[in-house]
Amino acid sequence: MTEFSQQMAHLYCNGMAVEPVIQLKFPVGRILMVHTAELSCDVVGEFGRIAVEFLRKGSNPKVYEGAARKLEVSSTTIQQAVEGLTYLLTESSKLMISEVDFQDSVLVLGFQEEINKVLLQLYLDNRKEICQILTELEPSLSHYHNMEWRLDVQLASRSLRHQIKPTITMKLHLKQNEQLSTQVLQTDPATLLHLIQELEQALAEMKTNHCRRIVRNIK
Amino acid sequence: MELSEDLQRGLHRLADPALFTPKSFAALIRAAFLSVSEAQAAETALDDAELQPIEPALVKHCHAAATTCILEAVKHNADRAGLSTFLEDCKFDKDRTELFWTEYQKNKESLETLLGSIGTSPPHITDVTWRLQYQIKSNQLYRHYRPGYLVNLTVESSDANQKPDISFNCSMEQLQDLLGKLRDAAKSLERTSQM
Repeated sequence: MTEFSQQMAHLYCNGMAVEPVIQLKFPVGRILMVHTAELSCDVVGEFGRIAVEFLRKGSNPKVYEGAARKLEVSSTTIQQAVEGLTYLLTESSKLMISEVDFQDSVLVLGFQEEINKVLLQLYLDNRKEICQILTELEPSLSHYHNMEWRLDVQLASRSLRHQIKPTITMKLHLKQNEQLSTQVLQTDPATLLHLIQELEQALAEMKTNHCRRIVRNIK
Repeated sequence: MELSEDLQRGLHRLADPALFTPKSFAALIRAAFLSVSEAQAAETALDDAELQPIEPALVKHCHAAATTCILEAVKHNADRAGLSTFLEDCKFDKDRTELFWTEYQKNKESLETLLGSIGTSPPHITDVTWRLQYQIKSNQLYRHYRPGYLVNLTVESSDANQKPDISFNCSMEQLQDLLGKLRDAAKSLERTSQM
């Protein structure tokens, strides 16, 4: 696991029970400790940027120190505030909550109206990317990455001369947890046509009424 | 087509009417073809009644020579002229050559298949099975709807370490990519076969 995912896992261990409207308590409240009176939109915006960078690349202690000096608080406080904000963003993205629900959740913190707006905008701007990052944390099974193929005709072997045996040689690239593996495989023309037919059927299944109905009804 | 000296001597002895009567010659030739086929009876091919009175060492030697001759002929796709010349050089008379040729014609195709299957090759795909699933939730992401496929390739291999199945997941786009590449391969196969 990368350092980032370890930090993410740590955040979730300290996380709250999940419900459609997020219950925010201790972690995000830390932001309030940072000079509530001085909490302006710019500062919150800055925190938001740090939080998103944290989600993208992992923590950067230098940034915390810089912000700590500017706001005249300890860098630990900054770090906790960023973690709290990150928690807010990831939980919201995880549940894909609506704007209204997000605003209701944030209301609990007792910030000013403009700050709530900034937080909402932060959420809306970044939620797609955060969802993307969260999918990387899911259990990963080997999945298809690429396939190269080659058409060969075997003309002779040690046991038999005068052959004409067409074969398709394939190199299947699979990816699991960022690790690529390859497998060299072979098939004959008849099996190739059979493979194509079977996989075409597989793809066509998504367009059947049965699948369409399920996709429509599970939202 | 070349055989070692020892085996050529075996063929000479097989051709000798004093050692093998026409009946026992026919029996030995049939037994030779039977023993290289994939039939169950191949194991007891030499138990033929006609071969019992003959000395076992002689039978074994001539049988080895005959089977080697058969396999070499199939390997090199020998034609009638070539085979006849070779057998006549081994002192086979016309009848014996004729019998050999008839049996050779009968068994040639199955022997070619057998010889062609010998050899190393990468694991050979024989079948594919698939499963379509629709993901609705994970513990990292609650509202995440996407379809996915689990594809399983059944594979045959001469290597004992190879697992019989290769499985992998793919999304719709990945499956379309795979299918596109397979279709390209099939098209190029069609084009090549039309040339």
